Amino acid sequence: MRAELQQAPTAARRKSITASPAFVYVLVSPLFLILLAYVVYPLFETFVASIKIDEEITWKNYIRFFSLEHTANLEALWNSIYISVLSVITCGIVGVAMAFLLERYEFPGRKILSVLALVPMALPPLIGVLSFTFLYGESGIIPRAIKELFGLAQVPFSLKGIWGVVVVHTFTMYTYFFMTATAAIKGLDPSLEEAAASLGANRFTVWRRIILPMLTPAMVASSLLVFMISMASYTAPLIFGIDRTMTMQIYLSRTNGDLDMAATQSTILSIVSVAFLLIMRWYQGARNYQNLSKGVSVHRTEIKSKAGRYTTIVLSFIGTIILMLPILVLVLISFSVDGTWTVQILPPEYTLSHYMDLFTDSKTWRPILNSLQLSAIAVIGIVIFGVAAAYAMVRLKFRGKTLLDVLIMLPWALPGTVVAINLIAAFSEPNAFSFGQVLIGTFWIIPLAYFVRHLPLVFRSTNATLMQMDPSVEEAARNLGASWWYSFRRVVFPMAWGGILAGTLLAFVQCIGEFVASILIFTPKTTPLSVAVFQRMYSNEFGTACAYGVLQIVVIIIVLFISRKLTGDKAGTAV
Amino acid sequence: MKKTTSKLKTWMKGVFVSSLALTVAACGSGGQEAKPADNSAGGQSGTAAQPADSSGDPQRLVIYTGRDKNIFEIVLPKFKEKYPNIEVETLEMGAQQILERVRAEKANPQADFWWGGTQSALATAANEDLLEPYKPTFADKVPDLYKDPQDRWYGEMLLPEVIMYNSQVLKPEEAPQDWDELIDPKFKDKIVIRNVLPSGTMRTIYSAMIFRQGADTPEKGFEWLTKLDANTKEYTQDPTNLYLKLDRQEGVISLWNLQDVLIQSKKNNHPYDFIYPKSGAPILVDGVALVKGAKNLDAAKKFMEFLMSPEMAAQLAKERFQFPSRTDISKDELPDFMKNLELKPMELDWAVMAEKEKEWMQHWDENIKGKGKK
Repeated sequence: MRAELQQAPTAARRKSITASPAFVYVLVSPLFLILLAYVVYPLFETFVASIKIDEEITWKNYIRFFSLEHTANLEALWNSIYISVLSVITCGIVGVAMAFLLERYEFPGRKILSVLALVPMALPPLIGVLSFTFLYGESGIIPRAIKELFGLAQVPFSLKGIWGVVVVHTFTMYTYFFMTATAAIKGLDPSLEEAAASLGANRFTVWRRIILPMLTPAMVASSLLVFMISMASYTAPLIFGIDRTMTMQIYLSRTNGDLDMAATQSTILSIVSVAFLLIMRWYQGARNYQNLSKGVSVHRTEIKSKAGRYTTIVLSFIGTIILMLPILVLVLISFSVDGTWTVQILPPEYTLSHYMDLFTDSKTWRPILNSLQLSAIAVIGIVIFGVAAAYAMVRLKFRGKTLLDVLIMLPWALPGTVVAINLIAAFSEPNAFSFGQVLIGTFWIIPLAYFVRHLPLVFRSTNATLMQMDPSVEEAARNLGASWWYSFRRVVFPMAWGGILAGTLLAFVQCIGEFVASILIFTPKTTPLSVAVFQRMYSNEFGTACAYGVLQIVVIIIVLFISRKLTGDKAGTAV
Repeated sequence: MKKTTSKLKTWMKGVFVSSLALTVAACGSGGQEAKPADNSAGGQSGTAAQPADSSGDPQRLVIYTGRDKNIFEIVLPKFKEKYPNIEVETLEMGAQQILERVRAEKANPQADFWWGGTQSALATAANEDLLEPYKPTFADKVPDLYKDPQDRWYGEMLLPEVIMYNSQVLKPEEAPQDWDELIDPKFKDKIVIRNVLPSGTMRTIYSAMIFRQGADTPEKGFEWLTKLDANTKEYTQDPTNLYLKLDRQEGVISLWNLQDVLIQSKKNNHPYDFIYPKSGAPILVDGVALVKGAKNLDAAKKFMEFLMSPEMAAQLAKERFQFPSRTDISKDELPDFMKNLELKPMELDWAVMAEKEKEWMQHWDENIKGKGKK
């Protein structure tokens, strides 16, 4: 850092501080402070709570955790890791395959499918998972329909247990792979593939030796995101009745009033996630995959053969249906009369009353506005700090990179409840970290929670695109006399734009859907949409809750649509 | 970018200043200045209008509640009518989330009143020193069983735990009549149960099942629960799903609290009915408490008195099937089904139950759940 600062005076023509790369330090150092205060310090406290029982330091809790006598905790640890690894694999396959299909091939239905591919992001967290049980559960539409159709005595299959969790994870989380992989594929230079092909490589070799290695940063980034969020996933295991996961164990310990055990479990959960992060960093560091060009040439192969066209039409039709089903189910329930849908395949009675309730209630719109406002504020902060941190991480040399990486990612890996409780603890009294402010009970604690929790999305996706980019491009610009700020604006930013945008959209949508942390910090004036939906459900207005959920989906789709319109299809290659 | 940070600062400053202003305003209203009081209460003086002593001064009251809209659409307007100067804010959450929030906000409590908490949540909070002791005027009308000995929380209503069944599938005489009939093999795979560990209600029922077969010999109770587990088809993650599975006949029998059975069947058209077990039912209590360090203690106390007044309790009994914990409410005020139903409590020692519950439930979770069928 000192070296950089000393350079500054020699370069006299730099007019302002923004002209120097040192400016990034200005941005990153407060981030370090913020993370130290709101992530590390509370985590440390948690750790202390886990080893300190009755003023004595003891490893009793850890011994209990790993004891072979009561295996509940070990089972939970195993299940969590198992589910997370499976989720990474299935999401990776689905997400990358879809990204490739939609980016590289032209076929009927491609456009609509590429919009709908983002829709699972829009599923509201609570009722979203419920819609899966309505679809594929034991009394779900599809198993029942098959049973009726073939006159079976029992339903042929149903989604349950660990596989249920993995299916829900795949469906809701493949978008992390899809978005980052799409951005990365857009940044790929096809001339590399062409060169390989003309040197005699077959398709498989091109995939294995060119495409996959080039996608490594994107894959690493999304694997991390998916692994950590699966570790922290709470609703899906809850719905499918898997008690033995780390998040459920933490919840149960807290319900029991067994706070030190809960602290132990959270600590172990964080350690696992950090270990995965370190492994991934090591793996990524062992390879090189940089690209000199801006990846301008997205050319889609058109599928010409008749059979091929029909197959793709049918397949993309099926794909669309599968993607849309959970949402269609929500729409269906939002129109059905509560309590009438019992043993039938589809709801027997329909009504508009849920929507009438919503549209005649003046309180309906407030939470929607709240959510948009809270998320927008959070996302602005996320983009500024996320891009700065990613840039610093990839391009600048300083000590503590790994630490910064770990710090930024940790809140993503912790259950939302734990993050919220840490924040409340940090801001309930004025202290140095909170600048003497008491933030609980105010508007600002919610955007702050969203910020801390969703920063990893922009950070990781930007990080991945920057990794893919050769620094010599920027150096060339600097050699040609561009100031740092100018080259950042005109060279780095446009090249990373695809990744930044992908991360921003993910973050925004996640903010709107965020529930577990929100419920602990909302106030009546700042009730976010997700909490409002929950409150409807809690009042046993299931239909109205679904109607509200549908409204949430509509809002998110509008956001996605607008962002698509604004950036056009050429997001990755803009400027 | 620098601009943004400085903007943020100005924003923060703004927040700070406005919160300061709020605090000042709140403090100001605390002072006993005799403002011309009745301008807001104006013409409202109906029968109930018995203006409170310090009326006029605007007060706030923040309530964390586990009750839902159906309850407070009855209570809150009437409270507003009686105390027009108190502005009530309610935050709806699950009982567990209230505990988490109150616990996390310990250093600077945001809530004044906790409305709707299970006995175990309230007792946990009391032990962690989160609740403010207060002896209400009706203190001696609530039996000792249903309140904290140190007045830190009071039971508002009683929740007898009964056997619930889908009345489209079973006739009343076909349903299990008492606890021990539940483990009859003929009910195999007919029972669905709300997942036990996260639910205070279910934990109490299960602990009660162990207790009634001898707290010193939990093995007997465990054996019984193993048989129940064998008959249990599924554990559902939350009440909504329990109702869904019963509606959709994935299961036909469950164990649930009487009030919810009545609300679901009479108000929400679910096909449920209940059997009050012959040998008696565990009666849980759902209570209220003042939060320690509350900023509007006075308003909170008023609310507690109001909520548990005989009139309010009778109305909630009639319209929302709440069994009041107060014993002095005359039978004529209560709805018919309550008059005819004798709430026979199961003999339980709550202190022993509270002490053993964790251990028993852990044992159940680790050694019994899902293993009865083998």
